[in-house]
Amino acid sequence: MRKDLVFGMAGSGGDGIVSAGDSLLQAAAAEGYHGVMTKSFGSQIRGGESSCRVRISTTPILNPGGNLDVAVALNWDDFLKFGAELPVSGNTVVIYEAATKILEADIPLVGVTPLQVIAVPIAEMAKATAGTERAKNTVVLGLIAGWFGIGAVAVMKGIRKKLAKKGEELVDANQRAFDAGRAFAMEHPLKVSMNVAASATKGQVKLITDGNDMCAAAAIFAGCRFFGGYPITPSTEVMQFFTDHVWKYNGAVLQAEDEIAGIGAAVGASFAGTKSMTATSGPGLSLKSEMMGLASIAELPLVIVDVQRGGPSTGLPTKTEQSDLFAAAFSAHGDVIRPVLAPTSVADTFRITIEAFNIAEYYQTPVIVLSDQEIASRKETLDPIDTSQFKIINRVVPTGTDLVDYKRFKQTDNHISPISHPGMLGGTYLASGIEHVESGAPTNSGSVHQRMNDKRTKKFDPLKDRKDLFEVTGNPDAPIAILAWGSVAGVCREALEMAQAEGINVKLMVPYLLYPVAEGVYNEFFQSVQKGLIVEQTHLAQTFKLLRMHIDLPKGVQSLARSGANPFLPTDIVEALHRLLSELQRSHEGQLQPQE
Amino acid sequence: MSATCDYQAKDYKSDLKPIWCPGCGDFSVVQGIYRALAAIGRPPHEIAFVSGIGCSSRIPGYTTAYGFNSVHGRSLPIAQGIKLANPDLLVLAAGGDGDGFSIGGGHIAHLIRRNMDITYIVMDNQIYGLTKGQLSPTSQKGRVTCTSRYGSMEEPVNPLLYVLAYGAGFVAQASPTDLVGMAATIEEAIRYPGFAFVNVQSPCVTYGEEAQQIKGLKAISESLQSLGHNPADRLAAMDLAQQYGQKMHLGVFYRNPEPPPTYGDLVKERQTLLSKDALPKERILDLFIKK
Amino acid sequence: MAIQGIDFANLSLKDALDLAILVEDEAQERYEEFATQMDQHQTPHAAQFFRYMVKNEAKHGQELQARRVQRFGDAPRSVTRAMIFDIEAPDYDAARAFMSPRKAMEAALASEVKAHAFFVSALPALKDSEVRALFEELRDEEVEHQEMVQLELAKLPPDSGLSDEDFVDEPAAQ
Repeated sequence: MRKDLVFGMAGSGGDGIVSAGDSLLQAAAAEGYHGVMTKSFGSQIRGGESSCRVRISTTPILNPGGNLDVAVALNWDDFLKFGAELPVSGNTVVIYEAATKILEADIPLVGVTPLQVIAVPIAEMAKATAGTERAKNTVVLGLIAGWFGIGAVAVMKGIRKKLAKKGEELVDANQRAFDAGRAFAMEHPLKVSMNVAASATKGQVKLITDGNDMCAAAAIFAGCRFFGGYPITPSTEVMQFFTDHVWKYNGAVLQAEDEIAGIGAAVGASFAGTKSMTATSGPGLSLKSEMMGLASIAELPLVIVDVQRGGPSTGLPTKTEQSDLFAAAFSAHGDVIRPVLAPTSVADTFRITIEAFNIAEYYQTPVIVLSDQEIASRKETLDPIDTSQFKIINRVVPTGTDLVDYKRFKQTDNHISPISHPGMLGGTYLASGIEHVESGAPTNSGSVHQRMNDKRTKKFDPLKDRKDLFEVTGNPDAPIAILAWGSVAGVCREALEMAQAEGINVKLMVPYLLYPVAEGVYNEFFQSVQKGLIVEQTHLAQTFKLLRMHIDLPKGVQSLARSGANPFLPTDIVEALHRLLSELQRSHEGQLQPQE
Repeated sequence: MSATCDYQAKDYKSDLKPIWCPGCGDFSVVQGIYRALAAIGRPPHEIAFVSGIGCSSRIPGYTTAYGFNSVHGRSLPIAQGIKLANPDLLVLAAGGDGDGFSIGGGHIAHLIRRNMDITYIVMDNQIYGLTKGQLSPTSQKGRVTCTSRYGSMEEPVNPLLYVLAYGAGFVAQASPTDLVGMAATIEEAIRYPGFAFVNVQSPCVTYGEEAQQIKGLKAISESLQSLGHNPADRLAAMDLAQQYGQKMHLGVFYRNPEPPPTYGDLVKERQTLLSKDALPKERILDLFIKK
Repeated sequence: MAIQGIDFANLSLKDALDLAILVEDEAQERYEEFATQMDQHQTPHAAQFFRYMVKNEAKHGQELQARRVQRFGDAPRSVTRAMIFDIEAPDYDAARAFMSPRKAMEAALASEVKAHAFFVSALPALKDSEVRALFEELRDEEVEHQEMVQLELAKLPPDSGLSDEDFVDEPAAQ
């Protein structure tokens, strides 16, 4: 019995393979499994190639997995377009469409001999049972139920529910296609059984959602009542969630005329006293940078979600990358600190988004939530979250004595000044992008500018002591370290487990707070470290460079960076760790007294 | 919204000293705004006044309202966020012709489309003053400036026709040659329920041309009322608006006799309709339960 | 100059006096505003002259006010500032940074000429003899005011014929 299976399926958009993935994930959740699903598409709007990856496990899942256990190719051209996103190994069972007329021995996978290769007349079975080739995806689900024991009941239950309104006939056709697939699997057993063990949490409620929806739900939970945005892949679903739900909470959402107006409206709403948010991706982040600077100098709370995709410019709009780090930390001119937080999964997107609002409101600042395409669009099954454990922080407003001769930008011990909003008697002031004195009146005095820059940067000092925004796992005194954030963190968490199982003395740091750089927290972490890896999906090693800008990394800490759409596998990391380990041993052999 | 109380023009005047050049038309605009606000009588703290960048965009600071002197061209996006977040506020936006019709030109059409209940005052001086006299979107063709040494090769934007064409419900023009009329026009614009636009011909005494100074403006000014113009007639308004640049018509070009609901009204309606469906926020994640 | 909703034919003496007071008020305010602008733009001599005009206009206003009280007590006023604009007040754009006292005086002189023209143009429409007499008096006073300003002008050294603008710094870009 397996505890974990990774499926990778590809076809053309018309094959409905992503829809099959959705059904599989939902069925798995219904059967109590943990699941993660990622989708990947070509650049055509319709009729291009599409693929999904579904990982199903009896235990919580850290990432979408490495090599596939099961590969499903409805046609090989489309499958191969996904390259490293759907890696086949010697342990993979490959299922493909027999109508491709390619012999099992001739499948176009170079340099790898899969565990087993099975040609299935998927289209033919669909046609014969449902009367249409469109039912191919249902046949595939039947095959999966038959061979791997997932969704034998739940898949059809889901499909029935989904299609109930469309009539019994359609449901029956799907049932026949599903049964045919399942029967085919039963008649052609696998050489090595790959059934998944039943889940211990069968029967418990599971949530299923993706990072974008989770982010929006967290925002509404945190009290966000205004969203201004503009459609841009892959962040648009955040706005869509708001248009579905925020009205119910007496909030509003504006699909603005452009990216600038989207964030502008959010800045305005925040000025008016409402927790506000915008979301965007790559090019949109560039467009919004002037407004981010405005929110910083006017000290207005605002959360900006940036769902990273391949850049620069249009880049790879549907693929994940981490290359907006510099832009998130540094875009907008002038001396400014703007906190940047990064979730690592759909589940922690909830916590990190709330944290972003808390920081924005407390410090009166724009905060960037640096998500990425993978987290934003991947679906995860989640155990119910106890929302009562999350504290909500609201901005400090002036009261009584503050409102006598109110000074909006008053110098205080913690550099944070109570903030009024229109409608508040006695609190009127001028918010401005121009430098201002404590009252808000414009100035061009150098000494005031110096003092205000001090105020606007020193106020963040306590943020750098927030150890709870850093996750450290493994042996705290380990000489070898890994550091990764965002969706890459999940891969490294699994790599850590694998390395520890091999007996490697290693630890992992996952920062949720990327900027300002918490020098103290990093220095403490790197104290024991002689060799290390900063793992990231950027071409320029942005994380590595950002850290080096602020701290003296130990000499042995190296960068493991690659461009987006080239996912890391846990085994890539473990391999790199082996290299570090042997370097470490060589350097120890060079010493008289090996260090312990 | 609080009850109307007695306010004087001076109650809206702040202690900040304008940076404007002596003689600037904007001095009259701010006076006109004080008077209009006094006539309306909303307390200053219930007013949000947003601007972009430019000489005229300094204006919110010279009032006692909540002011927001933002970034170039973006007064309207910010103003609409304020209005959506708190529909009870009186929201004013103001700026120059470059701010409104060049760098921020894309926003006006959309606020009109949405019928945001915001009054937008453009101080039109046909020049970029703050940066020392460059060609602006309303500069006449042939105008010589420091970025058009041999004369502008572009036709100017016609702000009046522009907003009329997009369907603004209230379109008017005012000038410092008639402060009383300006105050009355701004007041009427604020009272209009929906997007209201007032173009103020506000001469630049430092970079403006002789013909655009007050004497020149007086020579070409004509009150729409005295022409017998019917402000409910949008096509007649567009006809008159075509003379922008040659004639200076003062008063209301167009006032929609049957103002449609504002965006804020529709938002409120939607909130009322849907709020009964709200899950308690502690249970918002229940939306993700797949049964 | 603009006049709104004044029915000169039926103007009462009380209203005429009140209008005249408002005209002085308006001019006083405008000169005050100009003086402030000059203070802020380092043009002290012009500011000084505008303050002198503030005093003059205030004085005229007070004299008229005294007559009004004497004749009509504190009977409510039925005319408003909205009915007049720029009668004796200089145009908004008459002020200039670094303007010489001469230019400031010329601006004031132009306003007095403008006010004179106003009273002259209103006269034919007036029917009430007392009102007519008042307007004639006011018209003549404007001539006196012009002479007063001209007297001030005469105190200045002769005009060099050069433009102030040729000596001052260029505006600073912001």
